[in-house]
Amino acid sequence: MSATILPDDEDRTVLAGEYVLGTLPSDEAERVADEAIRDPALAGAIAEWEQRLAPLAATVAPQSPPAALWPRIERTAYGPRAGVRAGRRDGAQGGRSLLAWKGATAVSFLIAASVAGIALFDRVPMATPVAVLAPLGAPQAAFVIEARADGVVSVLPLHPAIVPTGRDLELWSLAEGEKVPHPLGLLPAGGTKLAAGVLPPGHAQILISLEPAGGSPTGLPTGPVLYGGVLTRAD
Amino acid sequence: MDEQDGRTTVGADVASLLKRCAEGDQAAFRRLYDSQSPRLYGLALRLMKQPALASDAVHDAFVQVWQRSARFDPSRGQAEAWLASLLRYRAIDILRRRSREFYGHERTDEPDTAPDAFAQLAERADGQALHRCLDGLEETQRRAVQFAFMDGLSHTELAARLGAPLGTVKSWVRRALLGLKRCLEA
Repeated sequence: MSATILPDDEDRTVLAGEYVLGTLPSDEAERVADEAIRDPALAGAIAEWEQRLAPLAATVAPQSPPAALWPRIERTAYGPRAGVRAGRRDGAQGGRSLLAWKGATAVSFLIAASVAGIALFDRVPMATPVAVLAPLGAPQAAFVIEARADGVVSVLPLHPAIVPTGRDLELWSLAEGEKVPHPLGLLPAGGTKLAAGVLPPGHAQILISLEPAGGSPTGLPTGPVLYGGVLTRAD
Repeated sequence: MDEQDGRTTVGADVASLLKRCAEGDQAAFRRLYDSQSPRLYGLALRLMKQPALASDAVHDAFVQVWQRSARFDPSRGQAEAWLASLLRYRAIDILRRRSREFYGHERTDEPDTAPDAFAQLAERADGQALHRCLDGLEETQRRAVQFAFMDGLSHTELAARLGAPLGTVKSWVRRALLGLKRCLEA
């Protein structure tokens, strides 16, 4: 294998350079970005090209962005202040007030609710949190999955989910001991509901990947997996 | 919380603003936008030619910074360069998707301003080495790198712009990259 170290190195340099230059087709560029998450050598080669070519970007004259751009970024980043979001599904009223909460607060609120819910369970279809999804490699919660007494499962963003233009988030389940994730459908920015029984039993992983608009064309995640968590239900 | 002390801190602490953004500091996010958005919007306009598309790219890049899905690693270089790269990836992604949606649509030929960028490199303190190394490449290789970087052209679009077969253009880019790396590391 040692004989191939040099060409491998060269190929990596070129692939990283092409990625930074932007000459790759989008599917190939996505693959490189995805691979760089797992391959520190590739990530390093990309960072090197970013630094090497930066002076070229610096030759471009600055321009004032439109005044409407900052409010638009604020809206996406912090969420709609008024709380009402177009396209929200019914039955998620509890979720809407959650959007105003900070992630950690909302999680502890839900845990408290589930404890309180034991007494109320027979009278009110109380939602029980069964998983918290966080960005990969980061502790903060981004989505919470709740199971209602009737078996319907809600996936709710703790902050409004942020999706780049022209992309969609897609939900996946990965049953314990399995290697191939199973698609659960698109995840709209305001969250979604899953029918009773679609989640695999036991401690399955739930993943959210970034896909082309309309979802993965292959039935398997094609973009990076942005969030993940493990189901911890007691039923 | 951040004190509004009125002093400008252009470029000086982009890295520390990024760090504070990752901690959820909205005042830092606003200051990052104020100091970096003109540079990033200029770059996006240069790549995309259309203000609406350029706004989309800048929007996406800043949202990614706030969302923490993009993380700056100070050990890997300058924060400004990292931000510019983040913007370029979003811009190029949007361009590629559009060219796929509008099949057969060709972007209008813009005046060839890439040589200006090349000339300006020599005037910047941080651009001397890159200018020298680009200058050392064969003309075709240098033009391929400049068109790709400044105009966001794909291999296929480069082939059309430079009037050469796809395979030839790919090998120009490959040799240019290897030559640049060698030269810049020498």
